[in-house]
Amino acid sequence: MLTYFSKRLLFMVPITLAVSLICFSLVHLSPGQPMDAVVSADAPAEVVELVRRAYGFDRPLPVQFGLWVQRAVQGDLGLSVATGRPVVLEVMGALKNTLILATAAALIGFPLGMLFGTLAGYFKGSLLDRLLTGIAVTGVSVPHYWLGMVLVIVFSVHLNMLPATGAGPGASTDWAFEAAYLRHLILPAVTLSVIPMGIMTRTIRAMVGEILAHDFVEALRAKGLPEWRVFLHVVKNAAPTALAVMGLQLGYLLGGSILVETVFSWPGTGMLLNNAIFRRDLPLLQGTILVLALFFLALNLLVDLAQTWLDPRIKRA
Amino acid sequence: MTRPDRYLRRFCAVILATAGLSFTAVPASAESVLRIAMTSSDIPLTTGQPDSGFEGYRFLGYTIYDALVLWDLSSADKASGLTPGLAESWEVDPSDPRVWTFSLRRNVTFHDGSPWDADAAIWNLEKIYNENSPQFDARQAGNVRGRIPSMGEYDKVDDYTIRFTTTEPDAWFPYQLTFLLFSSPAQWEAVGRDWNAFASNPSGTGPFKLERLVPRERAELVPNPDYWDGNRVPKTDRVVLLPMPEANTRTAALLSGQVDWIEAPAPDAIPRMRSAGMTITSNPYPHTWPYQFSMLEGSPWRDINVRKAANLAVDRDGLNALLGGLMVPAVGIVTPDHPWFGNPGFEIRYDPDEARRLLAESGYGPGNPVNVKVLISTSGSGQMQPLAMNEYIQQNLRDVGINIEFEVLDWESLFPNWRRGAADPSSLGAHATNISFGWLDPFAAFYRFMHSSMAAPNGFNWGALSDPEYDRLLDLARSTFDTTEQDKVLAEFHAKMVDDAAWLMVAHDVGPRAMSPKVQGFVQAKNWFQDIAPVSIAP
Amino acid sequence: MATSSVEPKTAISLSAPDGAAAPVPRSRGYWTSVLMRLRRDPVALAAGFVLLVIVLMALAAPLIAPADPYKTSMINRLKPIGTEGFLLGSDELGRDVLSRLIHGGRLSLFIGVVPVLIAFVIGSLIGIAAGFVGGRVNTAIMRTVDVFYAFPSVLLAIALAGALGAGVVNALVSLTIVFIPPIARVAESVTTQVRNFDFVDAARASGAGPITIIRVHILGNVLGPIFVYATSLISVSMILASGLSFLGLGARPPEPEWGLMLNTMRTTIYVNPWVAALPGAMIFITSISFNMLSDGLRSAMDVKL
Repeated sequence: MLTYFSKRLLFMVPITLAVSLICFSLVHLSPGQPMDAVVSADAPAEVVELVRRAYGFDRPLPVQFGLWVQRAVQGDLGLSVATGRPVVLEVMGALKNTLILATAAALIGFPLGMLFGTLAGYFKGSLLDRLLTGIAVTGVSVPHYWLGMVLVIVFSVHLNMLPATGAGPGASTDWAFEAAYLRHLILPAVTLSVIPMGIMTRTIRAMVGEILAHDFVEALRAKGLPEWRVFLHVVKNAAPTALAVMGLQLGYLLGGSILVETVFSWPGTGMLLNNAIFRRDLPLLQGTILVLALFFLALNLLVDLAQTWLDPRIKRA
Repeated sequence: MTRPDRYLRRFCAVILATAGLSFTAVPASAESVLRIAMTSSDIPLTTGQPDSGFEGYRFLGYTIYDALVLWDLSSADKASGLTPGLAESWEVDPSDPRVWTFSLRRNVTFHDGSPWDADAAIWNLEKIYNENSPQFDARQAGNVRGRIPSMGEYDKVDDYTIRFTTTEPDAWFPYQLTFLLFSSPAQWEAVGRDWNAFASNPSGTGPFKLERLVPRERAELVPNPDYWDGNRVPKTDRVVLLPMPEANTRTAALLSGQVDWIEAPAPDAIPRMRSAGMTITSNPYPHTWPYQFSMLEGSPWRDINVRKAANLAVDRDGLNALLGGLMVPAVGIVTPDHPWFGNPGFEIRYDPDEARRLLAESGYGPGNPVNVKVLISTSGSGQMQPLAMNEYIQQNLRDVGINIEFEVLDWESLFPNWRRGAADPSSLGAHATNISFGWLDPFAAFYRFMHSSMAAPNGFNWGALSDPEYDRLLDLARSTFDTTEQDKVLAEFHAKMVDDAAWLMVAHDVGPRAMSPKVQGFVQAKNWFQDIAPVSIAP
Repeated sequence: MATSSVEPKTAISLSAPDGAAAPVPRSRGYWTSVLMRLRRDPVALAAGFVLLVIVLMALAAPLIAPADPYKTSMINRLKPIGTEGFLLGSDELGRDVLSRLIHGGRLSLFIGVVPVLIAFVIGSLIGIAAGFVGGRVNTAIMRTVDVFYAFPSVLLAIALAGALGAGVVNALVSLTIVFIPPIARVAESVTTQVRNFDFVDAARASGAGPITIIRVHILGNVLGPIFVYATSLISVSMILASGLSFLGLGARPPEPEWGLMLNTMRTTIYVNPWVAALPGAMIFITSISFNMLSDGLRSAMDVKL
């Protein structure tokens, strides 16, 4: 087990490097001038050149990459071209807001998904099953940016009950655990929660159905075990996979939140990424992608390790 | 979670609150606060030379800082002119018109108490122009250098006099200096010689001091009671500037009372805001929304009949209706009430029959339309409603026999193309480009577009327009230091340009703003910049 | 969003064909029975029907759309649903929304479906090659594929499209790159399983060359499951593709495309809310139909992914 863990950890090193190379090349593949964010695009060529030099964008790409990785290892992702502030601060601030949103969505989506999935799987083929499966397939098929818009139309435009955009009153870029802020969290969190809800329902339904079809369930029932004990067995068997799916979902919520954040002007990584793309702020762009990818990678690793820990039957190369 | 009960109580409060109880967004306070929603996505740079275009200058430039020469923004009726700022007076050397002497204003201090003098002025110039000076800041340099094309050398004459030598005689140099803002050298030293630290703790000489800066969220300004111009000491206790790039967000914020003033409200929302009792202010300002023609070989615009026909084909009143009355029809680069307008013989108006006649004269007709390609953007600063307006124009021109095909670019691609010119591959073979612009001074209004020396890559003569008479008049105006005489030359130039139908003139923006009725004392000047110092807010 | 269905579950079980040494395991009869089973599935049938209607509408757009989708009209801006002459209202430029929705299907379906098709071809090639050859080659290929798993698919798509710049072609390229790794992974996993079935060994023992083995034995058994998996990605792809346009990274104005329409009409939700929501409803209907059809196909073919 321990060797598996350390092997897995060691394997992270080349992956991380490859990921950062992808981030870097992605960003430098782009056609725009890296200086468009600082220098007004109508600036004369010599001013652009001056600023390019000042930011080190005139160096050969491999050198830039090397310097970037070297600094990144020390936790320094450079300065945002557009704002002059450290990328690390920008990304971490935004990541916090995204995590708040993702967590809220997970808190709504996971329990619902587990409930729906278990019910649907347990009563497979029933009317309830069909209803819940329908809800689940809706959850995974709905373009959530559209769902967000519809919710805004209903709850903000028509009913005027909840704010349409932002993380808090005014143009707040930070979220706080206060009533006025919570109102801003409701619509985006509900919007985002339909994804994990749908996926969890589908996964758990399939799993519960599969477990129930196993011989040992029949055996348990034949032994005269009360149905709730049988159910406990099912839960016990389903737990490791459910946990893994939840972990992965949390990661995917980070990605899925990009579009939702745009709809609700939620000041998270999605908005940051969007701004960085449209302002061609290369350090910010590559920093944001890198941090998100690494976060996701770490989450995957954790899920993997936790799953192996919980369910030693799963052996991996 | 050290105090679970406190959290629990708070949580219950939250539940109750979200259950639909009403909220009061703003706590009562004795202080008068003016909250403004800007269109930028971040707080513009606060170190001295703002980014985010003219909006940056409007709210974080001329509030915290001063230039040697300022705009007089006190009138809503007449075109705003120049007025002394950190310089009390200036004069050009009659024997060498490249040399300008500026007498600096005395008894002015920066917000940190350090004095404004020639040393501070030179230090600031070094910040922009001397890459080897310790205070050199590439970002500020990048923001301002392009705006002062004539800057040559500078030196200190005495403690309150500095001298500039321009690269060539340029009567418009004082206009350019309105963009050069002065930050405090003492404060830069005090914050550890770090411009990023200076940004959150800046010091200028302007009517406002920056008290608080939360990146991407808010900037809070408080009055500078010792401002050198007693008439411009701010009347409100605090100004809060909030970046809100989305028009819907700004509208919602104004209607829900989260802000008192929004920039550029969405035109479709204006009736709704009016019915909610909001004030909509607007006033034409030096802004023009044109098609700039390519004069390259093969461009149909080389034919003056085609150019005139296009100008006669656009129904500007219909366009105005589309924009909810938030534009002024353009019949030249500048507005007819401007001293530079002149007396053109060609009257730009809506006359599709005359347009068809002109096209027929050049051999075009129903079976043989003019085919042109135009670069347009999906959005962009000052572009108004580019897609709607362009589609409208497309329809207008099609009616007389000019077929437009659009190359739709994002603003970030269209704007850099401006300097690259029509021949550049990034122009995709287009025959016109649609970029709106501000014409604060004659250089920005005419010279950079129509002087032959400004063809790519030197300036914004995108279509490589070249006319010896244009060059002569523009050069003459640039070297005429008497303002009245200079205006006459410019009027002659402008009239000729209109007679040539050099561009397709479409619209001037009116800079709509929406404000709560509590906002008082705002005078919307005919300018890109506005003075928020005299604004007060009723309780 | 069904982002995570991009992530294949590790356990992919193929029902081994009856008779371990059957030479051609999946015959025409198999496909007929799949079709038969599909026809007995009312949900899949309904989904297929809806899709058929949408596709036909897109194909016949110029014939059936009541108006020119590009024709603007300033006096007819922002009409509500049910206005005479504008059955589903008009947008911010006075264009007929119904006509734009019908025409929009062309581009939306195109950028939604094509990336999955291309990724299906490329991903299958990569995965089957890796699975068939096995060993170090397999490890090398699959580890490279793994790197792309470090990015949530939405992030990868947006980052790629953002880097390449807006445009339909760039959106296609980005989405294709996003879908290749998951398809390759499924293909590899299925191929590895099939490779170890007895009938492959039998074929090898009887002297069949690698090409023959791949063509006859592997492809026949492997393409079905990969195809089912790929169909389940179309719904994700539809949502992502329109999402890119929604962000301004896909189709460009004034093209009618559902995601882009949603983007431009978003500014009108305070004036004309329900019309603004229509393009999203189209994306939703298409996406859910693809999902249901894919589900039906999966159970009809008895593939567990």
